[in-house]
Amino acid sequence: MKARTIVVIPAHNEAETIETVISDIKKEIKTADILVINDCSTDRTEARIRCVKGCTYINNVHNMGYAMSVQTGIKYAKENNYDYVIQMDADGQHLSSEAKKCLDAAIEKNADIVLGSRFKKNTGYKSPFFRRAGTSLFESLIRIFCHKTIKDPLTGLQVLNRRVIEYYSESGAYPEYPDAGLIIEMLMKKYKIIEVPVKMKQRKNGTSMHDGFFSPVGYMIKQLYSCVIIFIKFVGRRYE
Amino acid sequence: MNNLPFIVIAIIIIIYIISSIRREKLSVSVSFAWVLFCIAMLVLACFPYSLDWVASLLGISYPPALLLTICVSALFIMSFIQDKKIDELEQKLTNTTEELNILRAKKNGKK
Repeated sequence: MKARTIVVIPAHNEAETIETVISDIKKEIKTADILVINDCSTDRTEARIRCVKGCTYINNVHNMGYAMSVQTGIKYAKENNYDYVIQMDADGQHLSSEAKKCLDAAIEKNADIVLGSRFKKNTGYKSPFFRRAGTSLFESLIRIFCHKTIKDPLTGLQVLNRRVIEYYSESGAYPEYPDAGLIIEMLMKKYKIIEVPVKMKQRKNGTSMHDGFFSPVGYMIKQLYSCVIIFIKFVGRRYE
Repeated sequence: MNNLPFIVIAIIIIIYIISSIRREKLSVSVSFAWVLFCIAMLVLACFPYSLDWVASLLGISYPPALLLTICVSALFIMSFIQDKKIDELEQKLTNTTEELNILRAKKNGKK
């Protein structure tokens, strides 16, 4: 039986790129369904999504942020019995051909979570200073806490299997930033996480949630704190 | 060591916060401010003269006044943030309920 797959795309003011992203996915991953979560965009994102045929979308009642939009998508996937969720960004950074590679790896290697990694092989991806600093900081934290090397813990391109879909949709404590802390949690709970080297495009338009100075610094402090707390939370139950 | 009670209280609060997180009664992001508060309390209890030092830096002749000012402003800020949050939640709840009511009306119409 073929695995049922859904691509979950949270979108906030991505009118310029959303159509191309969806049509690329349709070309590359033909069997997958597409779900866009429109997080109260103030531009023409919704109109653009409506133009595309065969694409389901959810309009959030209020602005819930990236993480809760993703969780909405995951819950939808659980309700509708999907086997795999592909998590992608709407800004065109993630290529659907690379997402397909991650999905194939998940099926082939029977992994619970596949992370699309920019840094596993040198793909020529240049990221701003704070992002690089954050990446190496969280990489070493994960190595200390879980004895595993994850080269790109802040990636937004992920493939999740049924087990993880169920776990995330029931999790009351789904974090504000679903990256490093969540990876530590899943590693400590003995989920199988693998990384697949992927190419990514540089961001062309729109703003990232990690732009500026205060936002990334605040993010790093909060995320550092939550990594430590999550480690303390699960350390006693590691072998349950 | 007449500051020992404060050290013990701060440690007990931190343990309580962490055990609440472990039982999933408290979210990690909410606990952040409270853990910071406890750490500040621990530092002050362990090094009481740091307060005198900061007070003299700011030109305050009576250090306990600084402590009280900091505490009162911290509580003031926290209560303001909470008020804002409650307001925000109330608006979101109203919106969600309205949407739900509209959905129900649509469903009733289909019958």
